[in-house]
Amino acid sequence: MRRKSLWVYHFNSGGCNGCDIEFVASLTPRYDIERLGIQLVPSPRHADVLVVTGPVTTQSAQSLRTIYDQMPEPRLVVALGTCACSGGIFSNCYNVVGGAEKVIPVNIKIPGCPVRPGMFLKALARLYGVETDGER
Amino acid sequence: MGSAKIQAKHQVIPSELKQRLLSLLAQGFSHLIAITAVDRGDHLEVLYHLGDLNGRVEHLSAEIPKSNAVLPDISPLLPGSLFYEREISDLFGVKFEGLDSQGRFILPDCYPKEAPPPLLREVKPESVKEYISQAQSCEVQAFTQPAPLSPESVVVPFGPYHPALKEPEHISLVVEGEVIKKAFLRIGFVHRGIEKAAESRTYLRDIFLLERVCGICSTHHAWTFVEAVEKLLDLGPPKRALYLRTLVAELERMHSHSLWLGLVGYWMGFETMFMWVWGMREAIMDILEEITGNRVHKSFVTIGGVRRDVSDEAVKGIARRAADFEKSVSRVLEEIVSVDEFVERTRDIGSYSLKQARKYVTVGPVRRAAGDPYDIRKIEPYGAYGELEFEVVTADRGDVYNLVLVRLKELQESARIIQQIAEKIPSGNPVPQRYFMGTVRESEAYARTEAPRGELFYYVNSNNTHTPYRVKIRTPTLPNIQLAASILEGATLSDLPLIVTSIDPCFSCMDRIQVYNAATNTSRTLTLEDLLAEVKKRRVRK
Repeated sequence: MRRKSLWVYHFNSGGCNGCDIEFVASLTPRYDIERLGIQLVPSPRHADVLVVTGPVTTQSAQSLRTIYDQMPEPRLVVALGTCACSGGIFSNCYNVVGGAEKVIPVNIKIPGCPVRPGMFLKALARLYGVETDGER
Repeated sequence: MGSAKIQAKHQVIPSELKQRLLSLLAQGFSHLIAITAVDRGDHLEVLYHLGDLNGRVEHLSAEIPKSNAVLPDISPLLPGSLFYEREISDLFGVKFEGLDSQGRFILPDCYPKEAPPPLLREVKPESVKEYISQAQSCEVQAFTQPAPLSPESVVVPFGPYHPALKEPEHISLVVEGEVIKKAFLRIGFVHRGIEKAAESRTYLRDIFLLERVCGICSTHHAWTFVEAVEKLLDLGPPKRALYLRTLVAELERMHSHSLWLGLVGYWMGFETMFMWVWGMREAIMDILEEITGNRVHKSFVTIGGVRRDVSDEAVKGIARRAADFEKSVSRVLEEIVSVDEFVERTRDIGSYSLKQARKYVTVGPVRRAAGDPYDIRKIEPYGAYGELEFEVVTADRGDVYNLVLVRLKELQESARIIQQIAEKIPSGNPVPQRYFMGTVRESEAYARTEAPRGELFYYVNSNNTHTPYRVKIRTPTLPNIQLAASILEGATLSDLPLIVTSIDPCFSCMDRIQVYNAATNTSRTLTLEDLLAEVKKRRVRK
């Protein structure tokens, strides 16, 4: 795993946009994950980390699998938000398969509705090996 | 106000539907707000909600047997009704005579044809899941091949996952070189089945669920639903609660518009603008978090009031901070809209006329940019809007540039509204004594509010139980995307992300290829088998 420059790819598998805007907020000046060398990339073929938001709907399930398969090894999957973790409030809805782990292996689950950008930042910092209070 | 009980409906038989529609159109009810289907046990009721530009609403009701659910297609009279009809046809199995069968619209293509439509009362979500799980695959098959009539035109599948899109959506583009000749949309990628889920939860728990329809205008969804339920209960919330709801709704509008303005910068390659505006936007997110405890899903509105009070001093502080935010964003944007590069890149991009905007029953800033002062806050005031002064912002022509200006001015108006709320907010207790847990007697009501993207419509039907019998949601994006498809025609591929963003839509995938016949102006859907046969034929010819 490239610990110094994680490249992330974002996949909305049927979410309400809440986690998506918080994910985008983490890229912008207040949180600015780019200062850690983390970059949002437009192609899964360039990505180290796949960030999934929202419950997986029937139509998006296959695309999620395809995109995961296109990522080079080693790869990590972050389920961002309660819906991506387990399907959340939508888990019983008829067009929802469930959480991301029903389709692909998930490494990190961050619950929250939606997840605050700070929590996402913290999870990525842990990937770098930062344990607590900025110490390695 | 903004909502009403549906007490009078014009009963109509299917064969007379078009006639009655024409007479209502002639009386000025030219805006088709929504079409709602309700399963009444032995038959289906289809309601046509028609509004005029002054806030009057009429409801046409047609009853049809379930075994032979057929209605005339009204899209030749009102082109904007097409997507509403296709949605009902998918979810309730109603056939619209004359409407081309264009395959699934909102349900996945793997949903079997013989399976009952999911929104019928007797269909359980588990059985629908069962049907879908039996399907081989719901895979999206995007193919590109030359369109048969013109050697230059090809079908380019765009999406559902594309760097220029933040949400999954699929557009099949028929292009000749750089120029888009025709665009076909397919929605349903994020279709979760919320309307069905709402029928099995209590009213109070439904607020939480319906808030999650959208993460950007979540308070408006909760508020619109609550408005309809309060009408059913004949319940008037305290005035202070109405002011506080209005306050949060306006903060939400500011956050939504600034988010959109940032994205426009991003898609035109002006990333600095995106970063500036999103950085400033955090000020509004902080306020929302302080008032409600969450940045995105506020859960602020509840039946009979709001969930918690905000002190007068806090409201005054918020007004100050909102004004500061508005000033800083306006300063940045006024600077930007005077730069030649920005103006040239946005002016006349994705342009449309008022006639087009009316034809597709568009709502919100999209409609106002073309010149119609169509704003629910003004024409059917709800919350505290009746007592506040604000201007409905319009422009004379719809294009990306005017949409930027309209949204920018709306941002300024929102700050003005918040200022007035701080001055006028009445005293009292806006929090209900206890949360509403009871039953709602049999009745039906509608509510509409002006969400950041435009008019949001809810229809709620109760039946003496703890749960609603039917909840219908018509989001502003559904009418607006029909316009987006039409204005993409003639634009270049490079303008596509900008045009799509300008309308702010949310549409999804299509998993088969469509061939467009330019001579007859029709499209045909090819299955994978058709496509393979076509490829084989070509090989043989060679």
